Amino acid sequence: MEYLLSILVLCSLYVMLSSSFNLIIGYGGLVSVAHPIFFAIGAYVAALSAIHFGLPAVPAVLLGGAVAIVASAAISLPSLRVSGDYLLITSIGFQLGLLQIIKNLEITGGPGGLSNVPGTITGALRSPAFAAISVLLAAATVLLIRWLMRGPYGRAITAMRDDELAFTALGRNATHIKIVIFALGSGMAGIAGGIYAFFYQYISPEQFEILQSALILTMVVVGGISTTWGPVVGAVLLLALPQAITFIHMPPNVAGGLQGVLYTLLVLIFMFARPQGIVSAPRTQL
Amino acid sequence: MSAVVQIDGLSKRFGGIVVADDIELTMKRGEILGLIGPNGAGKTTLFNLISGVVTPDAGTILLNGEAIRNVKLFRRARMGVARTWQNMRLFSSMSVLDNLLVAPRSYPGESVLQVIFAPGAVRRHEDEMRARAHAILTRMSLAALANRPVTDLPFGRQKLIGLARALMNDGDCLLLDEPMAGVEGEAYETMKTVVRQEAAGGRAVCVVEHNVSFVKDLCTSAIFMANGRIIERGSVADLLASSTLAELYFGS
Repeated sequence: MEYLLSILVLCSLYVMLSSSFNLIIGYGGLVSVAHPIFFAIGAYVAALSAIHFGLPAVPAVLLGGAVAIVASAAISLPSLRVSGDYLLITSIGFQLGLLQIIKNLEITGGPGGLSNVPGTITGALRSPAFAAISVLLAAATVLLIRWLMRGPYGRAITAMRDDELAFTALGRNATHIKIVIFALGSGMAGIAGGIYAFFYQYISPEQFEILQSALILTMVVVGGISTTWGPVVGAVLLLALPQAITFIHMPPNVAGGLQGVLYTLLVLIFMFARPQGIVSAPRTQL
Repeated sequence: MSAVVQIDGLSKRFGGIVVADDIELTMKRGEILGLIGPNGAGKTTLFNLISGVVTPDAGTILLNGEAIRNVKLFRRARMGVARTWQNMRLFSSMSVLDNLLVAPRSYPGESVLQVIFAPGAVRRHEDEMRARAHAILTRMSLAALANRPVTDLPFGRQKLIGLARALMNDGDCLLLDEPMAGVEGEAYETMKTVVRQEAAGGRAVCVVEHNVSFVKDLCTSAIFMANGRIIERGSVADLLASSTLAELYFGS
């Protein structure tokens, strides 16, 4: 039961990550690889403010999200004002650079990370409580994005992705919209990071490596890019699959390699058989 | 009649090529100005300079007396510069109605804060714009197609939708880039009627067009351009009778 609940927490957090990344890369058409670092910013800010300033969990998590939003503006403001292409380059530098700093600072615990994050909730109900909070937050993330995309804001985003020049010439501020989408998506990743830190009570830089963005991107693509439910399906599938493998008893050195092979195989199969993902986007929003 | 757009000494070069050379022109309320000339004359570039897609090297552009040379593209649209594109540039994954709904000068729905904290105001604006879009589509006999994906429609209809989208901007300046290219039959008549109505309604209209009979029927005056320069200006009849024009257009 404990094991299943912890998987439920992890699934919910990855649903938040994949849905918010879908907002950025799918709906917004903004190519970035820095999603794991915003997850990390949320986790480290929440953990550090709880450890050093005794901040309660709720404001600590919110602060993590807020810092992620501010950090996102630091890279999107300069790069999106020039052209969208610069975002990819800046995001690579930001992801690698900031993680390197985290690995080397004393306050973040260096490569060993932070292992003294307060537990917040204690007792037998700890895991069920975290599971409930995570599921609710994941649902809120998915529904908020769905609600935004179905209204006038979503219409503007879709038009911008279809033809940015025509969109701008109609009087719409494309740069502003991109910066906001990037901030929203990054803030959601930051919130997920805060929950992650409080639940596991241990965070280390290797959990936020750039390879994580390949995993999140795979979730989005396999599930169905630019759809509400695609990233949800993708996240659950890609997290459940390796867990399922662990039930088949085989030597760990074989199982570890098999996971990587499975991810790659999955992406290859989808590229050829169903490039639109499991959940396909409607051709027209009516 | 007051000048809506007043251009003076406008110049632009791309590398060694002069695409706009000391352009001077005035667009007035109620007038339909025809812009004619061979391909590469700089007609579309002139539209790009007026609407703000391209920044000029020199010269002034006044919109209702206000200098807009350094005003950004999206702000010029909000100030009332509406335009269409030669190749339409419709939003291909969206319906006809949604194409129109993103086009008004003010669009509170593009701000997340307004969407979340002032949903009532956003909804009222949306309802208003939906009504305006339906009125425009009805004028063009396209109301029945409002919910169809734009890419499902034939070329002539898509051209009309390009115009309809520009008309969602109720500003004073309307720039139409080859509205008639590839348009025939019923759509042709609709286009003509609507453009005439818009001018009569008080807009200053400028049309880039190769279709001579359309220019003759519609335009109150015309400008002939070649190599980024204005060669001649005057009434459409005078221009069409000019020998310089025939020479530049068809070769001597």
